[in-house]
Amino acid sequence: MENLSIIILFLFVLFTLLGTGVWVGLALMGVAWVGMELFTTRPVGDVMLTTIWSASSSWTLTALPLFIWMGEILFRTRLSEDMFRGLSPWMARLPGGLVHTNIVGCTVFAAVSGSSAATLTTVGKMSIPELRRRKYPETMIIGTLAGAATLGLMIPPSLTLIVYGVTINESITKLFFAGILPGLILAAMFMGYVAIYSRVSSKWEPEEEPRMHFSEKLKNSRFLIPVLLLITVVIGSMYLGFATATEAAAFGVIGSLLLAATQGSLSWSTFSQSLMGATRTSAMIALILAGASFLSLSMGFTGLPRGLADLIAQWQLTRFELLMVLLVFYIILGCFLDGISSVVLTMAVVEPMIREAGIDLIWFGIFIVVVVEMAQITPPIGFNLFVLQGMTNHEMSFIAKAAIPMFLIMILMVFVLILFPDIATWLPNNIRNGPG
Amino acid sequence: MTKQHWFRRALDNIYLLAGIAASLCLVMILLLIVLQMLARWTGEVAPGIPEYAGYFMAAASFLAFANALNRGSHIRVSIVLNAVPPSVRRLLEVWCFGIGTAVMWYFVYYAYRFVYWSYKFNDISQGQDKTPLWIPQTAMLVGAVILAIALTDHLIHIILKGDHRITRDLADQNHRE
Repeated sequence: MENLSIIILFLFVLFTLLGTGVWVGLALMGVAWVGMELFTTRPVGDVMLTTIWSASSSWTLTALPLFIWMGEILFRTRLSEDMFRGLSPWMARLPGGLVHTNIVGCTVFAAVSGSSAATLTTVGKMSIPELRRRKYPETMIIGTLAGAATLGLMIPPSLTLIVYGVTINESITKLFFAGILPGLILAAMFMGYVAIYSRVSSKWEPEEEPRMHFSEKLKNSRFLIPVLLLITVVIGSMYLGFATATEAAAFGVIGSLLLAATQGSLSWSTFSQSLMGATRTSAMIALILAGASFLSLSMGFTGLPRGLADLIAQWQLTRFELLMVLLVFYIILGCFLDGISSVVLTMAVVEPMIREAGIDLIWFGIFIVVVVEMAQITPPIGFNLFVLQGMTNHEMSFIAKAAIPMFLIMILMVFVLILFPDIATWLPNNIRNGPG
Repeated sequence: MTKQHWFRRALDNIYLLAGIAASLCLVMILLLIVLQMLARWTGEVAPGIPEYAGYFMAAASFLAFANALNRGSHIRVSIVLNAVPPSVRRLLEVWCFGIGTAVMWYFVYYAYRFVYWSYKFNDISQGQDKTPLWIPQTAMLVGAVILAIALTDHLIHIILKGDHRITRDLADQNHRE
């Protein structure tokens, strides 16, 4: 890297703009402009427009607003109440009792929503008061909720995975399927922890649940069946090759509108709120993606990605060492940036490294999602912590402490993923080829 | 009603209307995709649908930018902003809106040239849709202009009144991430 001083200037501008609070998308555009002016003689403004236009009008991107909309519609239905009532009879006999409703509830809602904060709110709204009433330990209620809600980012549909797929031009359907098994395994690990804790801890003395007959259990969970059906249709249509990710998202929107209508929770105001909310969230991500597309072009001219990839090759890091470096890097980055921004900001630089090291990019997508998920439950900007703070009025430090075991389980998950890469790559390699 | 009030209302209406137009684009994306699936199942050909969906995607994003800004949906790193005393914070906000405004007007200038040349040379889509590209590109330009106006609006407001007009909606924030 011969232009070291210019590169340092470039990075300085990047961190200054982001750090002082300029909106991420606009900051990326500004930095990219500086990079182009420093490193090329091309007409910067015209290149910027061509790049941003083609990035913003891409067909693959259309899955994003539709999946967001689907989550927004279901978020405004009665799903929250149905979830607790439907799941709790089945969980009552497990060691760890009703705390499992947090984890299973998050897993189910994660399968209809790509957002971890929406997952957290939907499940927590009902389960926090109910679990408190039954005298479950507060740290467990809060901790499992914070941890399990991050599954929203991993189990399809996942907004982070769509953004990752669009950034590196990989199939979104494949990425979705790569996320399923690791997501379920992570959920199982959370449940295992709850079961062990309930047996070991002395503070564990919740009220007994009344025994319920099988038919009674079924009756209680009848409202959950349409949701499970919706999940099956959305994921199944992609798996069987009936539909692309975008088309599955369209199924999802229509299905959730029908579901909301039959429940009687679909009114003009919930419809327009969900639509406007989805429009804004999708615009928020689109602005970041627009800035990132221009930045990655500009990054290419700076020679930074190539230089770093060469440097890594020179050091002869093993794959494992490289992944450890990236793990620490993303955890630190996650203390300042949200998941989507960290993914788009770094992929231009990280992608050549990953390819150089011969790491599968689908697998790496899951790795990066687990790692940015951790940032959701670590201070200072862990978003799930803020949401939980708003819901429970606990001190931030209390919530963060309650979430530490979940954080450790997720680190364990990273190593499981490294040891058994097949859990992420097996399913996507076995889906039927569909349209487009 | 003074003249300023009238102007204020007009601006706010523009932001809102652009947001509503964006949401209609989202509905259009949904309809187009349903149409594409129906066409495939019935063996019909519906050429150019992916392209059209892409154009509506761009329009939906750009037209909603200003509305998303006003509702505090756009992500920014607020650690420093929240840590500094109010007087410094005001300066920092001026800096942020200043940078944002500059970037966006720069974008608008080149977006205008982009659309103009696309119109002048009658640039046609490479896909099956054969759309003259200046039509969907104009939606991007309009959205960019509205965002630039919104940023300028906030910038002036914060310089004169010391406060920007972004209202954060907690229910909205829940859907980030």
